[in-house]
Amino acid sequence: MNTISVQNIQKSFAGKPALKDVSFDIPKGEIFGFLGPSGSGKTTLLKILTAQLDPTSGSATVLDKPAKLMQKTDQKRRFGILTDNSGLYERLTIEENLELFRGLYDLPKSSIHKVLNFVNLTADRKKRISVLSKGMRQRVTLACAIIHEPEMLFLDEPTSALDPVNTAHIHKGLRYLNENGTTIFLTTHDMTEAETLCERVAILHKGEIRAIGAPAELKKTHRDGTLTVELTSGQSERLPMNENSATQVANWMSQGQIDRIYTNELSLGDIFIKLTGSELV
Amino acid sequence: MNVSLKRIQAIIVKDYKEFSRNYAISVMILFPLLFAFMYRSDGAEQATMYAFVINFSLAMLTSFVQACLIAEEKERNTLRSLMMTPASMLDVLIGKSALVFIISAAVLALSTYIFGYDTSNMMVLVAAIGISILLYTAVGTICGLYSKTLIEASLSIFPVLIIFTMGPFALVFEEDYPFVKVLRYLPSSQLSELLNALEIGATTNELIMNLVIISIWAIVLTVISFVLYKKRLMDR
Repeated sequence: MNTISVQNIQKSFAGKPALKDVSFDIPKGEIFGFLGPSGSGKTTLLKILTAQLDPTSGSATVLDKPAKLMQKTDQKRRFGILTDNSGLYERLTIEENLELFRGLYDLPKSSIHKVLNFVNLTADRKKRISVLSKGMRQRVTLACAIIHEPEMLFLDEPTSALDPVNTAHIHKGLRYLNENGTTIFLTTHDMTEAETLCERVAILHKGEIRAIGAPAELKKTHRDGTLTVELTSGQSERLPMNENSATQVANWMSQGQIDRIYTNELSLGDIFIKLTGSELV
Repeated sequence: MNVSLKRIQAIIVKDYKEFSRNYAISVMILFPLLFAFMYRSDGAEQATMYAFVINFSLAMLTSFVQACLIAEEKERNTLRSLMMTPASMLDVLIGKSALVFIISAAVLALSTYIFGYDTSNMMVLVAAIGISILLYTAVGTICGLYSKTLIEASLSIFPVLIIFTMGPFALVFEEDYPFVKVLRYLPSSQLSELLNALEIGATTNELIMNLVIISIWAIVLTVISFVLYKKRLMDR
């Protein structure tokens, strides 16, 4: 069963295409990553899926309803969204910000305690947003997005500009949510994030999906068919994967000359460059 | 369109906390009180001066505060975050306007007391000021939605202040410049006319036209603020 189904979505701004014939499905319970550089159309698609924007053509369903209904109150209870510019009320404390969201979702008071524990901010709950670090703010924003325990979570560059410790904190939280049934749609230009977090990714370039699949599958598909053998002498050999190489490797092995041996796989970043001819920015 | 009292209440409580901690904006509640104290009188010009104090307060307090509250939410992207919650457009607009309405009503009541204005037809006075608060709240919403930043919003109030507050005074030139007559239909001119008529003992029936004109302004500007809100905050 799919949580998101996108069929032939096209979107143009003043005649300039931002999304071209984009189609994909996201099954329930998956973490799906949408990869692409700034301006590739990631945020445009996220806005279409949350009914902030209408597509020029094509259709999408989210949580079994047409995406254009995502601004209806009933549907809004079913998803959470975190964007890189999600706003918080600077003069209010962490707890007061969450109190607002609790009121808007009509939740019990215990939901604040629960979500504060989840993002590990219980001890800081009385601090005003204006004095928080970027990492703490992002955790508060995540808390606001998940306080109602949504079925679907949209994340737009959730860890951009965060340090590795805060990034790891957010990732841990997202994995926990996913294990508890939340489907996650993530846009990012961080290949490491995509590789460590996502079950499947789509590579978007200039509004088009260039590849889609599990990171391991994509690497397998795009590997160059060679292996590298590092010898004890310090010499390194790159060999094609064929019968002759196998004989050569067996030879080195029988003489105890092999230090390391590995297949040459491209990273997701390398695959992106290979597919699009441009670097991620 | 669904409206929820719980959601409206959550927005009012949040706005109250923000307002009370934002001294640059909350200080505006002092101006109407100060003006009422400075211009209090019981002479022949009492109604005219009272109308000036009320019109000035409506622009400087109601419109200014509303414009700043809306613009700040826009500038910090919190309005968009609110839209992604179950809060409907009406919840947000009513919630955000309610605080300004309550503060304006309380401050104007206190200003009236300080000024010493009294009338035998309190019902008409309350109705006229109540509708005017709605109208100026809508003006503030429009200014806030058109502004990209808080500074822009605070500057955008000046044309409102000049036209609405000074408009009734420009009517002294209407004999020399007939086009000035159009200013007679400003809500501030209508309020001023109504207060002067109240002072000379006009009946409620004689004041209906003033109330209707102010109400038309209030309805039109409220509708414009709703349409603009939808247009400005949705990318579609």
